[in-house]
Amino acid sequence: MFGIPSSYLVNRLVTFLLTVFIAATLIWLIPRFSPVDPAEIMLGRMASGGAFVEGADDILMQLRERFGLDDPWYVQYGKYLWSIITFDFGVSVASFPTPVWTLIAQALPWTLGLMILSIIITFVIGNALGAFMVWERTPKPWKVVIPSMMIFTSIPPILSGLLLMWIFSVKLRWFPLTGSYGLTVEPGWTWEFIQSVLHHGFLPALSIVIVTFGFWTLGMRGLMISVQGEDYVTLAKAKGLKPRYVLYKYMVRNAILPQITAFALKVGLLVSGQILVERIFSYNGMGKLLYDAILDQDFAVIQGVSYIIILMTAMSVFIVDLLYPLIDPRIRHSEAAA
Amino acid sequence: MTYRKLGIVFASALAMAATGAIAQDVPREDTLIIDIDRTIRDPGNFNWFTPGVKRQHGAHQLMWEPLFILNYETGEIEPWLATGFEANADNTEWTISLRDGVTWSDGEAFNADDVVFTVNMVLGNEDLTEREAAQLRGQVASIEKVDDLTVTMTLNAANPRFVLEVFSNRIFGSFLIMPEHIWADQDPASFAFAEPIGTGPYTLSSIATNRAIWDRNDDWWGAQTGFEDLPAPQRVIFLESGGEENRAQLIATNQMDVAHSVSLGTFEAIGFQNPNVISWKSELPYAWPDPCARQMEFNTTVAPWDNANMRRAVSILIDRQQIANVAYEGTTEPSRSMFVQYGGMEPFISAIEAAGYGVSATGQVDEATALIEGEGWAKNGDGIFEKDGVELEANIHVNSASAEYTRTIDVIVEQLNRAGIKARSVPVENSVFWGEVLPLGSYDISYSWLSCGSVNEPWASMGRYTNASVVPVGERSPGFNNTSRWDSEAAASYTAIVDEMGTLPLGAEGLTEMVVEAYQYLDAEKPFTPLVQAAKLIPMNTTYWTGWPTADNNYNHPAFWWGSAHHIIHNLEKAE
Repeated sequence: MFGIPSSYLVNRLVTFLLTVFIAATLIWLIPRFSPVDPAEIMLGRMASGGAFVEGADDILMQLRERFGLDDPWYVQYGKYLWSIITFDFGVSVASFPTPVWTLIAQALPWTLGLMILSIIITFVIGNALGAFMVWERTPKPWKVVIPSMMIFTSIPPILSGLLLMWIFSVKLRWFPLTGSYGLTVEPGWTWEFIQSVLHHGFLPALSIVIVTFGFWTLGMRGLMISVQGEDYVTLAKAKGLKPRYVLYKYMVRNAILPQITAFALKVGLLVSGQILVERIFSYNGMGKLLYDAILDQDFAVIQGVSYIIILMTAMSVFIVDLLYPLIDPRIRHSEAAA
Repeated sequence: MTYRKLGIVFASALAMAATGAIAQDVPREDTLIIDIDRTIRDPGNFNWFTPGVKRQHGAHQLMWEPLFILNYETGEIEPWLATGFEANADNTEWTISLRDGVTWSDGEAFNADDVVFTVNMVLGNEDLTEREAAQLRGQVASIEKVDDLTVTMTLNAANPRFVLEVFSNRIFGSFLIMPEHIWADQDPASFAFAEPIGTGPYTLSSIATNRAIWDRNDDWWGAQTGFEDLPAPQRVIFLESGGEENRAQLIATNQMDVAHSVSLGTFEAIGFQNPNVISWKSELPYAWPDPCARQMEFNTTVAPWDNANMRRAVSILIDRQQIANVAYEGTTEPSRSMFVQYGGMEPFISAIEAAGYGVSATGQVDEATALIEGEGWAKNGDGIFEKDGVELEANIHVNSASAEYTRTIDVIVEQLNRAGIKARSVPVENSVFWGEVLPLGSYDISYSWLSCGSVNEPWASMGRYTNASVVPVGERSPGFNNTSRWDSEAAASYTAIVDEMGTLPLGAEGLTEMVVEAYQYLDAEKPFTPLVQAAKLIPMNTTYWTGWPTADNNYNHPAFWWGSAHHIIHNLEKAE
C-alpha cells in the first residue's frame, strides 16, 4: 500500500495496538494499588474542608455505587476496556457529573495549538542551527553564537517561564501574566479573539522554545558530523554540486531521520512535559488538566488524559514508521527483500 | 474515535462559536477583580448540589443569596433572604420567615414554594452528595409551607443549632434555594442549570474555564425594597490566577483586587511593589485565622499513647510559640484551647483558661519530663527515654500535600527529640491521609484539624469527641469524629455533659460552665492537643476599592470565596 510492504504495515500495526493495550491496562491497574478508592477520596476532601461530614457512610455508599466500585475487578476492567475504545472515560470525580471527555475536549485544542506550534518551531530552528553548526560555509561569528545559546537549554521550562513573565509581563508589560485570552474577550472567530490568543500564547510558547531547541541543535550537530565524513557527501562535493544542494539533499536529509523519530516521541510527551508551563501561565490545556486532576485525585480524568497521551505517542510513532519507507528507500527495499 | 467525539473536539476548538458578546466595557475603576484558585472545569454547570467549582466563582457570593449569614465577629446569625427563625420547645420543628419583596433576577417572586421545592428535591434524591445537601438530608424529615413567606421544617432529631448549621454560611457555604420555576421537571442530579439565575445583585455575563464575569443588576430587589444599597462595583470578574507567584504579580500590578492566601515572603514582596495592599491585620501576624485550628491527635488505642499521662506530657512540652514563629513565620498565634479564636468564641476560651485548662504557648519541659518519668521511663545514654529496653518513639503522620503541615511537624519532631522522645515525621500522600490514615485510625500520632466546627458556639467542636463515635481501629470513624478513639471513663463523663450541651439553644444560660466542666476531661486525658490557629494571609488591594474586612473594620471575616462574601461586596467603596 502506497509502496509500503504489507508485512511491514501489519508488523507496525500489531506493535501499535499492543503498546496501547498494555499501557492502557497499566493505567487501569496502577490506581488499584492505592489503599483508598475514589469514593473515599471524595469523602476525605469533604472532611478536609472542615467540620463534621453528616451522613458520611451514606455518601460513601452512593459514590461507590455511582462509580461502579462495588463491581468485581473483571467487570470494572471490562467496562474500562470498552470505555477506552469508545472514548467514554466516565465522569469526573472532582467536577461531577461532567464527562471526562468533555474536559479533555476543552483542554486538547489549547494544548495542541500551543504545544504543536512550539515544538514545530523548536524542531525547525533547532535542526537548522545544528546543521549550520557543522556546515563549513556557515559564517564564523554564527559558529560562536549558536553554541553559546545552548545555555538556555539548561534552564527548566518553569524557570524560563517565570523569567519571561518577570521581564515581559511585570517589567515591560508587553504580554499578559495569565490566561489563554483576554479577560473580557468573548471567544469566537473574531480578529479580537485570535489576536488575544496569540498575545497570550506567545510567552508560554517562547518559554518552551528557548529551553528545548538546544536538544535538537546538539542532536543534529552530532548526526551532521557523522554524515559529513560519508563517501557520498565527498562524492557530491567532488562532482561540483552546489554547497547548499549538498547540505540539504545529501547531508540534512540523511542526518534528520533519527530526529524525526525523536520528534514523534516528543509529540506524545509534549502534553505531559509542559504541565508546569501551563500551570504557571494558567493556560488551560491538557497539562494543567492533568496537574489539577492529580491534585484532586480525580482518577477518571488522570486515566483519560494518560490514555490520550499514550495514544498520541503510539499514533505518532506509528505514523512515522509508515513514513519511514517513503523518506528512506533503504527501509522499503530491505523489508521487501525480507 | 467516533464522529461524535471528533465533533466535540472540533466544537471545543471552536468554543467560540458561542457568541453572546459581553454587554459593554466597564472601566477598571468600576470593576472588581477577584481570585479563583481552581480552574472552572465545567463552566456551563451551575448545579451546586454536585461536586466541582460551581459556587465559589461568584455564584454564591454574587448571584445566589443565603437565608442567613453568620457574622464571625459578633457570633450573630444575620438575616438575609429570611427575616428570622423560631424553634418549637424541643427543637424538632423550625419555622423560617422569608423576606417580602425578594425576586429572582428574571422577575419571578422568591417565596416559600421555592424553599419547599428545593428541600423536597434534596430529600428525595440521594445522588445530590455535596456537603450541604447531604447535611440537610441527614437532618430534615419533612417541610411544609405555612404561607407564601413561611415554612416549617420537621427534623429527624432535635437540633438547637439547625439554622446555624444548615442555612447560615457557618463554614464556606450554606444550603442554597433554587428557583422552582426553572428546576421543576429537571433531573436534579444531571441538570446543569447552564443559564443560571439567582436573587443576588449580579447576573452572569460570561463564563469560561479561567474566568467568570458578573454584571450588576440595577433592578436588584434589595435596592428596590431598601434592604441594602446596590453594591458599588458595576462588574465583578473572578479570575483564575494560577500559582502564588502569579497572583502576587497580578495584585502587585493592580490587575487583581483580592487574592487567595499567600506566604509571608510573598505578601512582603507584594507590599514592596504596591503599598496599597493590606491584609486582615496591619502588622504581624497579618493573617486571619480560618475556622480549623491545627492540632495533633493521639491514637488512644496504641501504646504508649493509650496512657493519658504520656499524651499530657507531649502536649505540655510542645512550644506552640516556636511553631508559630518558625513554621508559620509569625503569621499565626498559638492556640489557647481547642477552639478557633474568634470574637464569638472568646467567652468560652477565657473560661477554659481561667479554670486552668488552657494550653501554654511555651513548652514546659521539666513538667513533661516528670510525667514521663512517672510512667517508668528513664533517659538512656543517648538522652532518649527508655523503658524495658525499648526507646520512647513518636511517629507522627502528616499530610505531605502542604509545606505548612510538614514544617509544623518538623518543628515538633525537633522539640520532642530535644526532650528525649525519639520522634519522626511520617509524611503521607493527601488521599491516603484523608482516605485511610485518619478515618481508619492507622496512626500513632497525626496532624490534623478535626476539632474544626465551632465558630460561635462550643458544641460543634466538642461534639466531635464524644464516645458515641468510637469505632475499632480499621473501621471508619463516623463523619471523621473522634478518630483518636477516646473511650475511657473520662470520655464517658465528657460525653454526658456534651450531649446535654447539644440539647441547649444557642447562648443558653449555664453553657459556659458546662463547657468548662466538660473540658476538664479533655485536659486531663488529651486525646488531642491544640497547636496553633490556621493562618490565611489574604492580600487585599485598596488601589481601586476600599472597605475590605480587617481586624479594625471587622464587619465580618475576609474569606471572599465563601457565601458570606455578600457582606464584603456590599461594604466595598470606590477608592478616592
